[in-house]
Amino acid sequence: MNVITDHLSEFGHGLLLTAELTLLSLAGALVAGTVVASMRVSPVRVLRAAGMAYVEVLQNVPLLVWLVLAVFGLPEIGLMTGLFTTSVVVISLYQGAYTAEAVRSGINAVPAGQGEAARALGLTFTQSLRLVVLPQGLRTVVQPLGNIAIMTLMNTAMAAAVGVVELTAAANRVNLAEATPIWIFVTAGLAYMALSGLFGLVTGALERKWAILR
Amino acid sequence: MVRTSAGKRWALPVAVTALSVAGLAACSSGGDSGSAVPGSGGGKQDDLVAAAPVAANLPAGSTMEKIKKRGELIVGGSLDAPLLSQQNPASKKVEGLDADFGRLLAKYITGKPNVKIVNSASETREALLSNGTVDVVFQTYSITPERAKQVAFAGPYYSSGLVITTKKDKTGIATPADLKGKTVIAGANTPAIPAIKKAAPDAKIVTFGSDPECVQALKQGRGDAYVQDEAVLLATAKQDPTIKIQGKPFTSDPYGIGLKHGDAQMKQFVNDWLKQIQASGLWAKVWKNSIGTVVEGDAPQPPAIGSAPGSE
Repeated sequence: MNVITDHLSEFGHGLLLTAELTLLSLAGALVAGTVVASMRVSPVRVLRAAGMAYVEVLQNVPLLVWLVLAVFGLPEIGLMTGLFTTSVVVISLYQGAYTAEAVRSGINAVPAGQGEAARALGLTFTQSLRLVVLPQGLRTVVQPLGNIAIMTLMNTAMAAAVGVVELTAAANRVNLAEATPIWIFVTAGLAYMALSGLFGLVTGALERKWAILR
Repeated sequence: MVRTSAGKRWALPVAVTALSVAGLAACSSGGDSGSAVPGSGGGKQDDLVAAAPVAANLPAGSTMEKIKKRGELIVGGSLDAPLLSQQNPASKKVEGLDADFGRLLAKYITGKPNVKIVNSASETREALLSNGTVDVVFQTYSITPERAKQVAFAGPYYSSGLVITTKKDKTGIATPADLKGKTVIAGANTPAIPAIKKAAPDAKIVTFGSDPECVQALKQGRGDAYVQDEAVLLATAKQDPTIKIQGKPFTSDPYGIGLKHGDAQMKQFVNDWLKQIQASGLWAKVWKNSIGTVVEGDAPQPPAIGSAPGSE
């Protein structure tokens, strides 16, 4: 167990970076997802098509490919950003596609009468979406969004491949010096489990708080 | 809320898929120019194997006897390391220094150069050896005292070292001390990481998964220098005129043959084999056939067996 205690600071830094990556990406994904889902239900045909194209393109290429493309491809066209920033943006956009689908299913779960009533009261499409449909829709999909949050956490490990020293990369580096992969990766695995367990608890609490009884 | 006809619903995803597949295909073409890789002179391998010795007798009940009964040697190794162990995309044959040594050892034990390479990684080598998935590891496996607690090392069979590479026009980085305060690129899971930390503790280390990625990152300016094993960088620098190797190796990195921990009988056996092929000049021929294709001059003196800490 000395292997772990001797390298606590490496693991700590890795865990911190994983948490930062996850939280920033989640925030980005929620914004991107809500915007794209709104586009997909909007009355404007072009917006609907753009929203759909976004989801299909992002979901149908693996995250690792997107990360490598962004890290090594963008500098070729003169867009050079830091590795951490690039990873946050790419993971946000990628998870945004999944979030969009979850949010859209929430929107579709809101009875049509709600939207019709909002329009009858004179609210514009944006107002009815923002004030009536989305608040109800988002509350319905707390659990799937929680799953997406856990998936985002796991997917941050991909950033290790493009030079971000998050938990997985930190574990790799410790293993390189100590050559005891089982203990090191079990520790990293337990840290991921603890984080995702936390996400599960938060999701559960939020769902009980926000549930709509129909 | 949004209803589109079934035909329209399918048209877009299909078009997008077709486009992205076409795009990916375009990206990957051009990467397969296998003949441009130095060290891919396939024909000589057969001469090497023909000249290789076969063990006179195997101790009863030993690991070697089991391998002989099975008829092939299972080697933990790479398929993507130029000059060391790289699969030729055209012939499917694995070529390079490590691959040749694997074949020669297989012939020494079984009489035939039959090798099955199990793709292993720095994270999995110790486990693959200890649970018996592979018989030996030939994978630029640097001998260290920490690793020697979990695996037995025969050898060293080759000694390499880390070198510093920069863009061609870069000056002022020639020795490890010059890396102070710089951003340095290194391969993930390579001994370069601890070596850089030791030589320049305040250097910022950025790691990428593979050698081509590291080179690309260096060329795009994500770091000032790239530290990697000389054997790997020689091939790369030869192919790519925009990067340059600065100075001589600054570490000594003895490669060992990984064996199951505690198998002293097999370690002795493999060491005897190494001594034989070093004495007969076969070792130098293997070097000439791989690393010797990009390095001028004669083969270096092979390292003394058991000389590295962790291999005694």
